[in-house]
Amino acid sequence: MPRFSIKATSLQKKYSTYFIILWVALLLISLAIPLVAGSYYLRLVSLIFIYIILAIAYNISAGFTGITSFAFAAHFGVGAYVSAVAITAYNMPFFVGFVLGAIASAVVGLLVSLPASKVKHHYLALISIGLLEMAHRVFNEWTWFTGGSQGMFVSSWNVFGFSLGTLQKYYFILLIVVVCIIIQRNIVKSRWGRDLTAMTDNEIAAAGVGINYSKYRIRGYFFSSLLAGLAGAVYASYSGYLSPDTFSFQFTVFILLMVVLGGQGTLSGPIIGAIIATLVPELFNAAPDLKQIVYGALLVIIPQVLPAGIGGTIKKNFREIDDNQYITEKRDIKELDIKRNVGNVSTNSDNDDILIIKDLTKKFGGHTAVENFSMTVKRGTVHSLIGPNGAGKTTTLNMITGIEKPSAGMVIFKDTDVTGKGIVELVRQGISRTFQHVRLFNNLSVVENVAMGGRLFYSYSLTDTMFRTRKMKNEERKSFYEAMDYLNLIDLGHQANNEPESLSAGQQKLLELARALSMKPELLVLDEPCAGLSDTETMEFSKLLNKVREAGVTVLMIEHHMDLVMEISDYITVIDYGKKIAEGDPASVNSNPVVRNAYLGEGAEDYVTS
Amino acid sequence: MQELIFALANGSMYALMALAIGIIYSTTRIINFAHGSVIMIGAMTSYWFISTVQMNYILAILSAIVINILLSILIYKTAVEKLGDLTNNSSWIVTLFGASIIIDNIARMIFGTEPKAFPFLFNGMDIRMFGANIMVHEILMIVIAISIGIAYQFVIQKTSFGRAVRAVSYKPDTARIMGIRSNVVVLTCFAISGGVAAIAGALIAPLTFASYTMTYAVGIKAFAAALIGGLGNTKGAFIGGIALGLLEGFVGLMIPGGLKDAVIFLIMIFVIIVLPGGILGAKIFNKGNIAAEKI
Repeated sequence: MPRFSIKATSLQKKYSTYFIILWVALLLISLAIPLVAGSYYLRLVSLIFIYIILAIAYNISAGFTGITSFAFAAHFGVGAYVSAVAITAYNMPFFVGFVLGAIASAVVGLLVSLPASKVKHHYLALISIGLLEMAHRVFNEWTWFTGGSQGMFVSSWNVFGFSLGTLQKYYFILLIVVVCIIIQRNIVKSRWGRDLTAMTDNEIAAAGVGINYSKYRIRGYFFSSLLAGLAGAVYASYSGYLSPDTFSFQFTVFILLMVVLGGQGTLSGPIIGAIIATLVPELFNAAPDLKQIVYGALLVIIPQVLPAGIGGTIKKNFREIDDNQYITEKRDIKELDIKRNVGNVSTNSDNDDILIIKDLTKKFGGHTAVENFSMTVKRGTVHSLIGPNGAGKTTTLNMITGIEKPSAGMVIFKDTDVTGKGIVELVRQGISRTFQHVRLFNNLSVVENVAMGGRLFYSYSLTDTMFRTRKMKNEERKSFYEAMDYLNLIDLGHQANNEPESLSAGQQKLLELARALSMKPELLVLDEPCAGLSDTETMEFSKLLNKVREAGVTVLMIEHHMDLVMEISDYITVIDYGKKIAEGDPASVNSNPVVRNAYLGEGAEDYVTS
Repeated sequence: MQELIFALANGSMYALMALAIGIIYSTTRIINFAHGSVIMIGAMTSYWFISTVQMNYILAILSAIVINILLSILIYKTAVEKLGDLTNNSSWIVTLFGASIIIDNIARMIFGTEPKAFPFLFNGMDIRMFGANIMVHEILMIVIAISIGIAYQFVIQKTSFGRAVRAVSYKPDTARIMGIRSNVVVLTCFAISGGVAAIAGALIAPLTFASYTMTYAVGIKAFAAALIGGLGNTKGAFIGGIALGLLEGFVGLMIPGGLKDAVIFLIMIFVIIVLPGGILGAKIFNKGNIAAEKI
C-alpha cells in the first residue's frame, strides 16, 4: 500500500514548509519571551494565551458547531469562580480546581445546548443572553460563594508546597495553550471535524449520511463550554483576584470579537483574533468609551466586509496549503467493484420484498398529499415511481426515508417496522438517498463529500483522533481511497480537491449519487437523479445504475425521463393525486390507458403513435 | 390589586416590545438583537425632550418615535441589508449585537450613567378603583398597548401593506417576483418596530428609571416575552408579555432583589425547552398547520 500522506504538488509543499516554519517560529518566540520581556508584557502575553484558549472554545461553538452564543463570558466566569472557591475555600490542589471549574462550566453549557435539538440557532443566542445575565446576577448576589461585588482573592498556584513563580506560571499556561491548539487541530482534521462542517453546511444532507446533528450540537457545545471553563479557571488563579464585573457583557463582546476578527471555523482564527483583540485596545486605554464603540463597529463591519475573518481570508488566498493533500498521487486505478463493497451486507432474510409500504397517508393541514398508498419493492430490482408534478412522489420518498412522519400507514424495511423512524436510524439500517434539489457539503472538497458517505464505517474513537493513532490513519486512508474509487466511477477523479460548487449541475447530481453509493446501501432511494443532466450524462447514469443493480443494490427512484425509466426499470408504480393508479412492468404501464390519461390528458391515445 | 395592575401594566409593555420584535421577525426571520438598545433610546430621548427641551409629554414621545424610526432604518441599512440572504447566514446575530453595543456606548456618553427619574403621565395621578389606589399612568399603559396591538393586527390582516408583509414573510424571493419591493417592506417593518419600541420604552421608563442600562434590564425581558409567547405573531406577543409581567410580579413577592431576574430567565429557558415554539406553538394551538419544506 502507498503511504497515506500522499505526495503533494510542489506548490503545496512550498507553502506548507513556510507554514511549518511560521508555527515553529511562533512557538520559539513564545518560549523566548520571558527572557526579554518585563513583567508587564509577560503578564500581557500570559493573558493573550488565556484568551486564545477561550477563543478556541468559542470557535468550536460558533465556527464548527454553528451555535452563536453570548454566554461565553458566563462560562468563563463559572469556571473561574468554581475553581477559585475550590482552591481557596477547600484548599484543593490547583489542578483539581481546574478540572472542577471546567466541569461546572460544561454543566452550565448543557443548559444552553439542551434545547439545541429542538430550536433554531437564534433561540440559543437569546437563551445565552439570558444565561449571561443570570450568571452576572448570581456572581453579584451570591455573596458567600463569590464574595459579591467586593470580589474575591484567589491563592496562588501551589504544587506540594511549592509556589509557582511568574516564569513557571507562564510556561504552564503556554503548555496548556499548545495542547489546546493541537487538540483543536486534531479534532477538526478528522471525521468529527468533517461531520461538524457537514452539519453546519446542510443539516438535511448531514442527516442523510447518518449524522445525528442535535446530538453533535449538544456535544460540541458541551466541549466548548468545558474549554471555556478551563480558561476561566486558569485566569482565576493567574490573576489572583476575581470581580463580577470582569465577566460582564463587555467581556462577551470581546470574546465574540476575537473569533469574528480571526475567522470563525478556521484553526488559526482564534489565535490571530486573540492577539489582535488584546493588543489593539491597549491603544484606547485613555478612552474606554471609545474602545467599546470600536469593538461594536468591528462586530458590525467585519461580518459584512470579511465574512471569513482574517484567518479565513488568508486560508482562501493560500488554498493549496489547506491540508486536503489526500489524493493526488497516481496509483493503479482499477475499475471499482461495487459488488465487493456491498458484499458484506448481510442478507439475513429470505424474503424477497425488501420494502413494503401499507396504506401510507400524509396530510399537510387540510391537504392530503398521499392517500392510502401501498407498494412493494423487491430485492435487487430497479423500481421507478412516476407520476405528474404534485402527485406526491417526493412526499412518499420522504416518508420512506424518515424525513417526514406519515400521518397513517406502515413502512416495513427488511421485515422490520420502521414507520416514523428518523433518517439517521434508517441510514444505519441500509437506506441511503439523494435529494431532488442537490444537497452537498459546500465547505468540504469533492472527495470529502464522497468520504462523508463512508462515515458509518469508521470505528476510530476521539482518543484515536487526538493522538493520531495508526488505527485512525489506516481507516482514513482506506475511506479516502474508496471515495476516490467512487469518484473515478462517475469520472470526477480529477476534480477531487475542488469545491463542489465549482462543478456543473449534472456533476453535482452525480456526486450526490456517489456519496449515496459510498454508504453501501441495500436500498438506494433516488429523487430525480437525472434532472439537470445532459444527454451524455444521462447515458452514463443509466450504465452506472445497471452496475448498481448487478451489484445487488435495490433502487427506488423518481424520474421524469420516460425513455430512461422504461429502459432501466424492472417495475414501475404510477401515482397521481396521492393515489396509486397503476403498477407493473414497463411494457404494461406504458400501454395502460389510465396512465396515459394522467400524463397526457383525456383522449390522448389518438395522438400517440408508438 | 395594586400589584396586579402593576404587573399587568409592565406585562403590556413587554408585550409591546415583543410585538416590535415580532414585526421584524415576521418579514425577515431574524431577531433584532439591537432591540434592547432601540427601546432604551426611545426612553432616553423622550426623557431628554421632556427635561432638557421642556417639551410636552406627548410631543416628546412623538419626537422619540421619529428618532427611533430613523435609528431603526439606520440599523437596517448598516447592519442587515448588505448581508443578503439571512436564512443561511447567521452573521446578523453578530452585526446586530455590535450595533447594539455602539448605540449603548454612545447613549452612555450623551446621557451619562446616572439613572434618571422619568415623570409619569398626568403627574402620577391616582384614582381609586377596586378598593386600591391605581395610577392613571399604569391604566394608560395597558390601554395603549392593547390599542397598538389591535391596530397592528388590523393593518396586517386588512391592508395591502399587510398582505405584502405576509407575502414577504412567506417567500421573499417570490414576493419580489410578484412586484412587491421586499426591501421596502422589510425597511418599513424595521421603522414600525422602532416606533413601537419608542412608545414602550417611554411608557415603562417611569416604573424602572431611565438609564442606558435599560438595554439589558428591560430589553432582555422583551426577548423573553417574545420567546415565551411564540415569535412573530401578535397574539403570542401579548400572551408572552402579560405572562411575563404576572410571573415577574409573582416571583418578586417571594424572591427579593437581583436574584429575581435570574429566576425569571431560568423559567424562560425551561419554557423554551418544553415548548420550543412558545405558548402559542404548543400542540393544542396548531392543528398540523406546519408547511412542508421542499426537499
